[in-house]
Amino acid sequence: MAHVTFIHGIANKPAAADLLRIWREALANSADPLPLGDLGVSSSLIYWADLFYENPDPDVAAHEGVLENTAQAVDGGGGAQLPTPRTAEEARFIDAMRRHLTEMSDAEIAAGPPAVAVNPQGALERVPLPWFLKKPIMNTFLRDVHHYLFDVEFAPPGRPPARIQQTIRRRYVEALGAQAITGPHVVVSHSMGTVIAYDCLKRVADCPRVDGLITLGSPLGVDEVQDKLQPEWRRDDGFPHERVAGGWINVFDRLDPVCGFDPKFANDYCRAGAPVVEDIAVQNEGAWRHSITKYLRQPAVCRALRRLLHL
Amino acid sequence: MSGEPTLDEVREQAQKSLSDLRGLCSDDDVRAAKALVEKLRNQRDYELMGRLAEAVSRIDPKDAKNRRLYAQYLIDTGKATAAIDLLQPLARRLPKEHPEFAEATGLLGRAWKQIFFDAGDKASGGAREAVKEAIKAYRVPYESDPAKNTWHGVNLVALLTRARMLGMRVAPDLDPPAVAAQVVAALQATPPAKRDEWFLPTLAEASLGLRDWTAIDENIRRYVAAHDAKAFQIASTLRQFTEVWDLENRDERGRALVDMLRARLLGLQGGEARLTPEELQRVRRQPVPDEGRLEAILGTYGAQTYQWWKTGIERAASVAAIRQKMGNRMGTGFLLRAGDLGREPADELLVLTNFHVVNEHGANQGLQPADAEVVFEAADPGRAYPVAGIVWTSPVDNHDASLLRLETPVAGVTPLPIAAALPVIDDTARVYIIGHPGGRDLSFSFQDNELLDHEGPPAGRPQIPGVCRLHYRAPTEGGSSGSPVFNSRLWQVIGLHHKGGKIGMPKLNGKEGTYGANEGISIHSIVAAMRG
Repeated sequence: MAHVTFIHGIANKPAAADLLRIWREALANSADPLPLGDLGVSSSLIYWADLFYENPDPDVAAHEGVLENTAQAVDGGGGAQLPTPRTAEEARFIDAMRRHLTEMSDAEIAAGPPAVAVNPQGALERVPLPWFLKKPIMNTFLRDVHHYLFDVEFAPPGRPPARIQQTIRRRYVEALGAQAITGPHVVVSHSMGTVIAYDCLKRVADCPRVDGLITLGSPLGVDEVQDKLQPEWRRDDGFPHERVAGGWINVFDRLDPVCGFDPKFANDYCRAGAPVVEDIAVQNEGAWRHSITKYLRQPAVCRALRRLLHL
Repeated sequence: MSGEPTLDEVREQAQKSLSDLRGLCSDDDVRAAKALVEKLRNQRDYELMGRLAEAVSRIDPKDAKNRRLYAQYLIDTGKATAAIDLLQPLARRLPKEHPEFAEATGLLGRAWKQIFFDAGDKASGGAREAVKEAIKAYRVPYESDPAKNTWHGVNLVALLTRARMLGMRVAPDLDPPAVAAQVVAALQATPPAKRDEWFLPTLAEASLGLRDWTAIDENIRRYVAAHDAKAFQIASTLRQFTEVWDLENRDERGRALVDMLRARLLGLQGGEARLTPEELQRVRRQPVPDEGRLEAILGTYGAQTYQWWKTGIERAASVAAIRQKMGNRMGTGFLLRAGDLGREPADELLVLTNFHVVNEHGANQGLQPADAEVVFEAADPGRAYPVAGIVWTSPVDNHDASLLRLETPVAGVTPLPIAAALPVIDDTARVYIIGHPGGRDLSFSFQDNELLDHEGPPAGRPQIPGVCRLHYRAPTEGGSSGSPVFNSRLWQVIGLHHKGGKIGMPKLNGKEGTYGANEGISIHSIVAAMRG
């Protein structure tokens, strides 16, 4: 039996079972439907939102639909605060990542800027949403990426502290190893989940092998992220061939701010110097292009997954 | 995990309660029984509900709510006139301020409405009398408290509109659009905290009376496209729209609306749609509504929902009735391509049904081939194909399957596609049956079933060598023998329906216990057996 392992991205999420259902239904509701269950393909989800949040988001509907009127619906739920750097290196990282998203200062954002900046510079400034929605997205993205890449110890209220990178890596390795899989095994990752998937497949020695990787709305093209994946990552040998037997398909929307201005990976993740990652551009609907359900409903994503699963 | 008991648990409690009520029972036992009557109503197990309501009535015949629920059982099991005989004295004896008065009077209207629903000729004297009486019944509680009794009001609007369409001058002092406007205003004035689950369906239906399609579409969308829409509510709206408002016969816009509701209903857990062959033919011919309207009613992914429904309708055209020559329907079968079964000539079209429907010697009350004919009622109801012979068969205790060759090639019907694999078992797995349930009438039934288990990969352990069984559960009743079992999204055949609806079916794969389940045979195990 073929298997798909999903891994989610930034911000708080519904409970794992609800989130897995939402992702599967999004694929099944595509214009080129890919109902995994009907096709005999099992699926599971690596869940890590509980490391950052006390409880799952009870507003499941916000994650199912295409509304863009709440922080949850635009990957900003949970009320994350900007990370506090512990070292100069962390401060530089956070500052650089922030500049990818916006040129505006906190004071300017707080002053209530227009929904669309007159001369947009940063990725988030291209997003026609009000800043009361964009601010939580920015905070969440910077916090989650920073805490993972710098392996920060963190504890949401009521939970014991955990080293973020170590804990998520362990979950990832255990989840991939737990499946009794006889067919192709493909990892489908979104947003921050793409960084986790890549990090484990490239850099964690006991991570099981898979047959394919799909990254959706990924920040892996951002220089600062790549720097933190060294020394295993090299531009000419960045492909995780150690643990990915088949292809890597990267899907992006040019107006997805999380991909920044570096949405294509073919030249950044070469195999023996040759570009092998397949970059596919899609156009999601609406103002918030990073939404996972919008990506999963893209026929191009369904076709890519079908191909990697040999369906 | 919900705290609501399952249907099996409620049934078990009801059986115990029936036993308790036969003996020396306490007040607590009676109270518990009364609560169970309502639970059985909510689970739509009307037969058991009626038995328990009867038992309660013998102990406490004056309990107005139980008598009203008893009447509801009578209506929902086809005994509307008996319900009227029960409800009329009940409504007479209850003071108008009693909370059950409006309920009982409204149900009296519902009983008369049911008689109108069931009338083949809606212009007949009996049907017209039923409309008149229903209007009279709904009018009383509505006019006594229009702000509160909005469900009576919306039925009043629907029936007045239909009565006017029939040329009847019943309640000439009432103007349907004016009553509709009052009902809509009353509903909109309801504080959000006091709006129950029927608020949106009632508002949507009342909007029909306004004849403003923008408002109608918007109000219907608010509950139809909601992520937590309930199948029983949409089924109720659909019944009103077709049987009372007669939307299908009004115009293209009304027909499209009904189709969209059917599409949404079938996509919901527990959804079921029944269509006559004529309705199926009409839906197949009907143009697809424009994308904007699909989105306006069904939500952002309305076009996909509708396309899925249309695919199901197309599949129904390949489902056939197996009839005794010039006689009754004995079962269901479906068209397959020989090549998909590993047979030659690959393009020959064959019909698969159960062994117990057709077999060489008429065993298990089946038909012999010479006595059987096959009719694709949704495609060409006037054409019967005699059966030339059985090309492969497997007895009831194995695959319960017979593959039929027809005397003349089937024309104008597309063979059904076979799925590549059985669905993965999880708590969202569902299958669909297209068949003719109960053999009562000519309607096609599209039933959503929860897929409970199967003996296929990866964890299945078949108990009969070479036979892979599927268990699934319909909310209402089993489909007829020989129906195709489809996966839920792609409408591909995964099984042959074999037997249904039995309580006490032993679970599969060595699991302990029994449950109420239908049973099918995996198409893959049938194909593997054919290939030898």
